[in-house]
Amino acid sequence: MPANDAYDVVVIGGGFGGSVAAKKCADAGLKTLMIERSQNIGEKVISGLTIPIYGFLFGPDFIRDGNPPIERPADGIINYIIKDIDSGDIDIDDSLRVPRPFSPVIAFGYNAYCKPFCQWQAQKAIESGAEVQTSTTVLDVIKENGAVAGVLLEDGRQIKSKIVIDAEGSQGLVAVKAGIREKYPPEAISLADTYDYEMDKKDVDRIFGYSLRFCWGWDEQKIAPPLGHGNGLMVWPYRNSVHFMQDHCLRLDGIKAPNLKKRFQEYHDNITSKLPWWRDEVAPKSSVRARMWEGFEIFVGLDSNLKNMPNHDNGILLVGDAAGLESTELCDGVPAAWFSADMAADVAIEAIRAGNTQKDFLKKYDERIKAHPIIQWSISGKNRFNLRYAQEKHDERLLKKCVHLAWGLGQLTHSLTPLLKMSFLFIKKDPRIITKWIKMFFRYYQNWLHNAYDYSEREQRVCDSGNRPKLGEMIFKICVGGLDLFLRILSPLIKILAVVGYHLSGLANPVMKLLLPIIRPIYLFLRKPMYPIGNWIAEKMIDFVYRADPSLFETTKGSGHIKSRQPG
Amino acid sequence: MRTHEKFPGVEWMDGTGDFIRVDTTKCIGCANCMNVCLGDCWEIVDQKARLKSLSACMECASCWYVCDAGAIIFTWPKGGTGYRSDWG
Repeated sequence: MPANDAYDVVVIGGGFGGSVAAKKCADAGLKTLMIERSQNIGEKVISGLTIPIYGFLFGPDFIRDGNPPIERPADGIINYIIKDIDSGDIDIDDSLRVPRPFSPVIAFGYNAYCKPFCQWQAQKAIESGAEVQTSTTVLDVIKENGAVAGVLLEDGRQIKSKIVIDAEGSQGLVAVKAGIREKYPPEAISLADTYDYEMDKKDVDRIFGYSLRFCWGWDEQKIAPPLGHGNGLMVWPYRNSVHFMQDHCLRLDGIKAPNLKKRFQEYHDNITSKLPWWRDEVAPKSSVRARMWEGFEIFVGLDSNLKNMPNHDNGILLVGDAAGLESTELCDGVPAAWFSADMAADVAIEAIRAGNTQKDFLKKYDERIKAHPIIQWSISGKNRFNLRYAQEKHDERLLKKCVHLAWGLGQLTHSLTPLLKMSFLFIKKDPRIITKWIKMFFRYYQNWLHNAYDYSEREQRVCDSGNRPKLGEMIFKICVGGLDLFLRILSPLIKILAVVGYHLSGLANPVMKLLLPIIRPIYLFLRKPMYPIGNWIAEKMIDFVYRADPSLFETTKGSGHIKSRQPG
Repeated sequence: MRTHEKFPGVEWMDGTGDFIRVDTTKCIGCANCMNVCLGDCWEIVDQKARLKSLSACMECASCWYVCDAGAIIFTWPKGGTGYRSDWG
């Protein structure tokens, strides 16, 4: 890259948001440079990571229609509410799980390591024509006439650009230095202490299956960080490892910063030696492979001053964690990073084409963020925060209620409206998105079964056509093909229905609140006796997906990853 | 490249430069930075915070966040240096 070069767009940071913005700008023909401070993309990104399904359904097209490297599909959460760790008095709330036979093909989200996923995204941006400069730290923005006009690198070089998209992550040092945002107070930041444990895939399959495990307990038991001041213990099953994360706010209101090193060590040692399923099942089969930590902006969305800090200025747009878009409840930052990076790229493209990169034009980015149903829902959930009152009062009922509303079926009483709104917005744009969604689930699951993704070493993995499930393939073709034809023929009518559905979606949350007390016990009662048949169907489905012709699940010709092979 | 026995799965590339500094005229010795640091990077000497070692710094910026006195200056390390991991 020549010194003092000029670009249309400079993207700071090659994480989950940065590559999405860089790819879209490059696709639009803009001269785009993405700058990443680590030597290799994704090596400084740390997270316990389930990317929730709405990120894939409503995120960038290239991710939905692509073959990203996932570690394991997740079908939901098992919450362990630990009343007394020593006597083993533990309640379970596992109501937020995709039931069999839909699980595991229809996923609640996908678990992933950050490095391969971010590298996959960056590679897509490069293929679209974006330039990527690694091992380079951006110190500051450069300004001309009060507007951001590029970035200043550590070696003193200036890279000029019409627009800067800042995707530097939660600390937001460049945005603070540029005077766009202020440093967050420590009460808004949580430190996530993360362990990666190696484990045989067969043990992960047997112990965890596809479900995440979260633990919530009282502080005096020293088994999980104080409730609402962070999270309890969270465990994610990966392909042949499990990720363990506990997190804790850097400081609680008006209190001295706690000794987190001592506290995390104490909690980790306690829970791994006392929690029955960890002590008896996980511990003998696993060994620590890595330990690392990272801070993230846990409660920014709940403080109106922090929430309303600018996400744009003359010549600059902030995306993802750099814009304070971490979910306050589900702890996810990736979907909001994808959504916001996608919208920032749209606005950057429009602004450059209009020849106006000033704040008055870029404010449409802020308007779109504020109108985005899922971003707004995800940065306003209070149930995780409210757990602190359950702890203060030692209120078991409140504890269970908050856990149920945040990570149980109660979640639907506040997430259903934004999820439906987004679905209808997408269906209105293109009704055939429904078949793309269905194929995505099947393709992702097949990729996972074969451990084969774009750019992976096992790229040439083939499917033997002599062993194909012909009947299943025919049924899939008839059902999904028929649905696609139906959606195509009735497209104008479906678009009208989607508009009506969008407006009616506002009723979904209150109706769910009303009906959940009736639905929940019926659902939980039926789930057990229905399990054997559901499980039987699921096993058949897994076998079908494993052996099926991969082209069945492609959304565009050649978009699949696994190649089929003719007999002989 | 360095590793740290307490923190497997992470490597540190040398040459970071002084990316964390303390303004001793502002430091009030509250020890917040030392308390939140999981890498054991800090010590308090003569009522002032002092960087003991950056050998296990994960660049989380927690010390910067908790410094009410504004005495900690935190920037990113030089590009291509500092911690790296395959398991984040």
